[in-house]
This record gives sequence, C-alpha cells and structure tokens, in this order.
Amino acid sequence: MQNQHGSSHDSHGASHSGGGHDGHERPQDDPRESLWYRCYIPEIIRGLKVTMKHILFRPRFTVKYPEEKYNCPGFEGSAPGYHGEHRLKKDEQGRIKCVACLMCQTVCPAKCIEIEGGEDEKGAKYPVKFEINMLRCIYCGFCEEACPKDAIELTTKYYQVSTSREEKIYGKERLLNN
Amino acid sequence: MKTQLKKADGLEPRPMVINLGPSHPSMHNTLRVIAELDGEIIRKADLEIGYLHCGFEKIAESKTYHQFIAFTDRMGYTSALCNNIGYVLAVEKLLGIDVPERCKWIRVILAELARLSDHVMSIGLMAMDIGAFTVMLYGFIERELIYDVFEASTGGRMTMSYPRIGGLVKDVPKDFGERVLKFADRVDPFCSEVEELLENNRIWNERTRGVGVIPREEAVNWGITGPLLRAFGVNYDIRKVNPYLTYDQIDFEVPLRPEGDVFARYKVKMAEMRQSARILRQAVEKMPKSGPINIDDHGIILPPKDGMKGSIESLIHHFKLIIDGIKIPAGESYFCTETPNGELGFYIVSDGGRHPVRMRVRPPTFYNLQPFPRMVEGGFISDSIAVMASLNIAAGELDR
Amino acid sequence: MSTLEIIVTCIKVLAVFTALQMAVPVLVIMERRGVSFIQDRVGPDRCGPFGLLQPFADAAKLVFKEDITPRHVDKLLYFLAPAFCLIVPTVAFAVVPFGSGIRIGDFTLSFQIADFRVGVLYLLAILSMSSFGVVCAGWAQNNKYGTLSALRGVAQSVSYEIAMCLAVVAVVMSTNSDSGVSSTAMSTIVADQGGTYLGFFPKWNVFTQPIAFFIFLAAMYAETNRTPFDFVECEQELVAGYMTEYGSMKFSMLFMGEYIAMALQSALLVTFFLGGWTLPWVDLGDGSIAGGIASVIVFLVKWFAVAWLYIWVRWTLPRLRYDKLMDLGWKALVPLALINIVATAFVGVWLRS
Repeated sequence: MQNQHGSSHDSHGASHSGGGHDGHERPQDDPRESLWYRCYIPEIIRGLKVTMKHILFRPRFTVKYPEEKYNCPGFEGSAPGYHGEHRLKKDEQGRIKCVACLMCQTVCPAKCIEIEGGEDEKGAKYPVKFEINMLRCIYCGFCEEACPKDAIELTTKYYQVSTSREEKIYGKERLLNN
Repeated sequence: MKTQLKKADGLEPRPMVINLGPSHPSMHNTLRVIAELDGEIIRKADLEIGYLHCGFEKIAESKTYHQFIAFTDRMGYTSALCNNIGYVLAVEKLLGIDVPERCKWIRVILAELARLSDHVMSIGLMAMDIGAFTVMLYGFIERELIYDVFEASTGGRMTMSYPRIGGLVKDVPKDFGERVLKFADRVDPFCSEVEELLENNRIWNERTRGVGVIPREEAVNWGITGPLLRAFGVNYDIRKVNPYLTYDQIDFEVPLRPEGDVFARYKVKMAEMRQSARILRQAVEKMPKSGPINIDDHGIILPPKDGMKGSIESLIHHFKLIIDGIKIPAGESYFCTETPNGELGFYIVSDGGRHPVRMRVRPPTFYNLQPFPRMVEGGFISDSIAVMASLNIAAGELDR
Repeated sequence: MSTLEIIVTCIKVLAVFTALQMAVPVLVIMERRGVSFIQDRVGPDRCGPFGLLQPFADAAKLVFKEDITPRHVDKLLYFLAPAFCLIVPTVAFAVVPFGSGIRIGDFTLSFQIADFRVGVLYLLAILSMSSFGVVCAGWAQNNKYGTLSALRGVAQSVSYEIAMCLAVVAVVMSTNSDSGVSSTAMSTIVADQGGTYLGFFPKWNVFTQPIAFFIFLAAMYAETNRTPFDFVECEQELVAGYMTEYGSMKFSMLFMGEYIAMALQSALLVTFFLGGWTLPWVDLGDGSIAGGIASVIVFLVKWFAVAWLYIWVRWTLPRLRYDKLMDLGWKALVPLALINIVATAFVGVWLRS
C-alpha cells in the first residue's frame, strides 16, 4: 500500500504538464473498470460486513459517566501530571506555603491569577487574597512551573463542574481545600 | 447548462445566492462561503474568513517568548503539539541553540502522534461530510486513544503546552515507548477498516474522484502545502526537504498522488498515517533511553526545582527568567515545520527585548483555503462540501 | 357490505393506524440503539428498560416545545405539509396484507384492511403523492435550503417512482393469475409466493425476480430519502432541508411521516419480494387461529429484518451526489427495469407454451 505512491512519483511528475483541468490520470489501483465495482452491491456488502463486525465483536467505547468515571489507561483516574484545577499547598505547620511573590501571576498567559500580598506580625509574607478565575485559566501549568516555593500545583481532577460563573472564581480557601 | 429564461413580465432570471455559513453544519469552523447558484451548480463562490480572529500575532508582541507557547496550542487545536514544536523550534533557531538528542526524539514522536490525531479526524470528518457518519466516530475513538498517550506523557489531552524553549517541561514517563508502540499498532487496522468501508465503494469514488481539481501549477502558485499539495503530485515535505529535529535519521516515504482531487487527498492522508506509524516505531527504537532533555543553560530554561531551593544562583536565574523572560538576541528568523495541514512557519523579529517586536505566523490552512473558490466553481453544492472537508480547515490557525 | 363487515373494517383501520403510530417509536429506538452499536457506542439507555422509552421522551419534549410559525412562511402550505407527509404513507397501508386470515364460521377475518383488485395501482398512485409533502414543506417555508431540498425531492421521486413502478410491473407479470383472481391484488401476490419449488426452494419473488428486487430496493431508499439517497435532508449540505423552519409538533409530524414511509416501504418489500406473511414450508393460510397469528408474526419478523437493513445501510454508506443519483435512476435502473419486463414476458410465454 505505502510503496506504490512514494516510489512512483517521479514518473508522474515528469509527465504531468498542468494547464486546464487535467489531473485525471489513472493510477494503477483504479478499480473503476471492473464490473464488480460498477454494480455497487459487492462493495456495499463489504461495508455492511465491517459495521456488523463492530456490532458483534467490538467493545463499547463509551464511558457511562455518572456511574463510571474515566480512567486513563494504566492509571486510576487521570494520569499523574494531568493539568486539572489548582491547589494551594500548606507546609508542615499548616501555614500557607505561598509567599505572594507574584511569580505565577507574572507568568500566567491568561492573566487569571490575582494576588494581594500582606505581612503577618512576624514579617513573613503571605497572600491576603489569592484568586484564580477558572473560566479564564487555560490549564497550561506555567504557574506550577514558575512557583519557587512549590506552593501552587495543578491537581489531577477531571471533573470540574459548577452551576454559575461566580462559583468558578476560586478564592484562597477554595484553593487550599481543593 | 446555463439556464435559458426569457425576460418576460419583468421577471429577470438571476442566480440564487446562498450563504453556506458562518454557522452551517459542514463549515466546521466559522467560515462563510457565499455561493451563487445556477440550479445546483455553483457559478461563483466567495469566501469570507475572520470570524474567529483572535489577534494571536498581535498578542505575541505583548507576551514573553515563554508565555506564547500556550497560545500556539490554540491556533492549531487539532494538532496542538505540532504547533508548539514549530514555535519552539523557531525561537531556538533565533537563539542559535540545539536541544539534546533525547528531547529531539521525544518531539518527533509527539509531533507524529499529533499528526495522526489530526489525520484520523480529518479523514473522519471528510467521510462524515460525504455522508458516512460512522467513519467519523471510528476516527474519534482512535483520537481518544492518542489523547490517552498525550495525557500520560504531557498532562494535557488537547492543548498540552508541553515543549519549552530549549527542552521540555518534564521527562516522559518510563512506559512512554510502550504506549506509543501500542498505538502505532492500531494505525494499520484502522486504515484498513476505513479502506474497506470507503475505498472501493463506488459511491465514495463518485463523490470524491475528479472533484476539486485545479491545475498543478496553480496549486503551487496559491501556496498550498502539506498533504493537499502532495495530492497534486508535488513532492514537497519539509521533513524531507529541510529536515528538522531528527527526521533525517528516519526512513520514511512521502506519499504522493497525481490527481489532486478529493480522492487523492484522502489517499495521501491514509498513506501518511501509515508512514507516521512507521516513524513512530523507528523513533521509539532509536530514542536514547536516558539522558538530558533540556539544554544546560539556565538563562533559557528554568533550572530544576530541587536545585533551585539550595542555591541562590538558581533562584536568581529562576526569577530573572520568569520576570524578564529569555534574552533573545536582536535579529529575525523564519522556521517552518510540517504540520498535518502543511507548512507552519513562524517569523520572529526580535530587538533583544522580552517580547518579539513582530511575529508573523504562516498558517498552512490559510493558504490551503485560498483556492477554494477555484476548486468549487462549476461544481455542485455537494462537491463544495466535499472539497471543504478535504481542506481540513482549523479556523484558529486560519484567522489567527 | 354487511354491518358486521363495516364494524370489523373500522376496527382494523384503527388497529393498523395505531400500530403504525407505534411503529415510529420502535423504529426510532431501533435506529438509535442500532447505530450506536455500529459506532461502538451505547446509545440512549437511560429512559426506561434499555432506553426503550426514549422516543416517547423525545416526543413529549417536541410536543411541549413552543410552536413557532416564522413570519415569512406561506401559512396554508406550512400547516398542510406536515399533515400531508404523515397521511400519505399511512393511507397506503390500507392494501398491505399483514397476515393470512382467520375463519370463524362463514365469516373470514382477513388481516388486510382492503383487498382491492387493483391494489398495486392504488398503492403506486398513493406513493406518487408522497413527494407533495416534501415539496409543500420546502416551498412553504420560504427558505433557500428548503427550496433546494424541495427541488431535489421532487426530481428524485419522479425519477425513482418510474423505476419502482416498472419493478413492480415485473412482479405483477410473474404472478400467477390463472385461477381467475386479479394479479394486481396484493393478496394474490402474497399468496402466489407461498409454497416451494421442488419441495424446498421458497417461491419468493426475490429469487424469480432478482433484478426487480434490487431495483425496488434502490428505489425504496430513494423514496424514503434515506442514505445513500438522503439529498432532501442531508445535514451537511442543506442543514435540514425541508424541515429547516419547522419546530415542535409540526417537526415531529414530518419526522413521523418519514419513519412511517420507511415502515411502509419495508412492508412493501416484504410483500412484493419476500413472500409477505407466508412461510415456504408451512401453510399459514388455512384459516385457523394459530395459522393467522403465526402469519402476522412471520410478517413482522420479515418487516423488522428489512427495517434493520434500512438502518444498517444508512450508517454504513456515504451519500451519493444528486446528479449521480439521477444518472443511476434514468440510465441504469429504468432501462434495467424495462429489460427485466421484456425478459419476464418472454420467459412467461415460453413457460406457458
């Protein structure tokens, strides 16, 4: 199948001379002369056999969503490293890891992250407001890459459903618990 | 064939003008064809594009080189990785750097998978527009399986933003090769099945043969590239003509057909899928099993996170890279790659700043679409649908 | 006609009409589940057991939708067209024999509403009106896609009706009418196909008239506007063709009309070529209750098989181009049907002499 096109090119190329609606040279595999082809039915039956094979022998590809959840082959659920919704991480003492350095906000191509930094009583920086607009987010993962503190990461959640636009603007609490 | 009507009673015969699109079932994107009909025959066709114009080229002027990677996904969404890789290679050319061997092979594999995912869908949609709806869904099953490979290795299913300037985000998982080979084995059965359904069927042949033909010189002059041009019998494949990545080390053929009609386009795409599977097998075999995937220059690629926490130097690199972006020397470069639809080129002009001064994208589908009126004029409405399907337009790329 | 006969006929009309209305959801669910299996999908399986109630849910949805009449339509035709589409194939069912009959005393309950002596002619006359619905709908909605669809529809049915009629003529010619019954009566055509040749080979017309069978098959797809001949409503070209501007109940009537036409054509194929309600090796026409019920079941099984063929073919084949369809109709099917008639005549004369 593959060879006949690749190797036969040069002869075609040389003989072909443009001008007008040409291009009706018939390559070797043209079936159009045979009676078999001309009477439609044998090839139709061949096609019908293919579709019947699908009914009888092929597994159904559908995932019946609410009951079954999709699994990436070889994994439970989505593959590790899948770009899902964000999560803010906490350190061992339960404090938010983010230091409001605005790296993620800078690198975000969709400009969906909004951070307001503040200082606590000891002078440590932390985000007063950390908001991600999930409707703007394009899930590229640049923020995770840019974070010097490993404070933000993408979860592997496939299903991200909500019923209103307001719900999709995630605040700090929502992101910490994601 | 011209309708002969008498000018009587003030009734002048005039052609019926019909709008195919901007929202029409077979204008897969928001395209509009204004067709002047004489009965069922299209006398004159006019194209109107721009319904999906997003200004990607202009956006590039305000984004860092790194940030724009995510935008290239959205241009050619049916083969996002090909676009990613094309862009990254263009910037690397401007920088004058060469990525490690392993990175190149991974990029080749991913680009071929993306090509396959585009071709299965374009064949399916072509069949659907010609009435064989089932073939489309068979194609979609294969595409889903390719996306599984993508998900396991890059983290994204449709838009991956996986390559980086100077390397990749992360290394591929250990079983990457097996997954790719497992898919490569599915290509041939899929192709044979589609062939059984369509290839010798007289209905399919009558719908596709001799449809949408223009002279070969004209096709070249319009700037058509990719499988479409190869269906006109012109041996032009950038992977062969100007090998990039490691395509020069791979043994594959460029399928060609002389006719230039819709049938030839279908045949070329089918043969190309088999060639892609061949490339995949070779690439998995030849790919270095270990080794670096990123260049060793932290002025270009982000340093690994573990090292960064220990050394202040890495941290400075990290901050500088994110805030200032990559320092690209002033100059300009054009680099083109072979995407499933043809030649995708990025022309980047840099003045040494953090953004490009000007970025020009040469989208394959924009050039492929231009001769559409020539291809359909004088044909039936049904033919125009078949031709449109065979062009495989991705409007993100077309309108940019 | 006695009072009893009138009452029985009325009951039969009601029964057949109801059965036809119910055939639509059956065909719809068969098509939707069938196609999903062809495409490795599951299909609608949420409404009722195995999704069997899905068509009813769809129907309910359509009924409760707002019934919009666009301002630019031709009101009269716009309202008439759906009714036309629905009524024509329903009326044609009057002559289709769907079972043998049960004899109770000296009263015979035949499973056929009306057994005309010219049943075939009646049928062809009604069928030729089926394109009116499409034309009315396409024209009335004042939409370019609809107009194109109407034009295609009428051209298609004109050219295919001829081939179809000629195929049926060959069947009528080969039907044995020696015993004085009319060979154009549907019941005669069916009864003639009962029994076997040489004790085992079915006397079905599909074997004696194979060319007519294939012509009828092709014309049947064209008549009902199904793939590979669905130019009238091909989504990729004409959006929804003559249904573009219809919604709500009127759309569902067009839709039902289409499926009833499909049911009718399947029934006709069974009647003309596959032996109707007869079984080759068993005589079901003896008038017993068991035989009568069995004959209806046989008919239904055959009918389902042909209806499945409709669905199966639709989701396998690409669509032909409009001009190629005309080519096929006028240049292949009509001459072939004529040759077939002449050949049938010669063979008939030769067999008799």
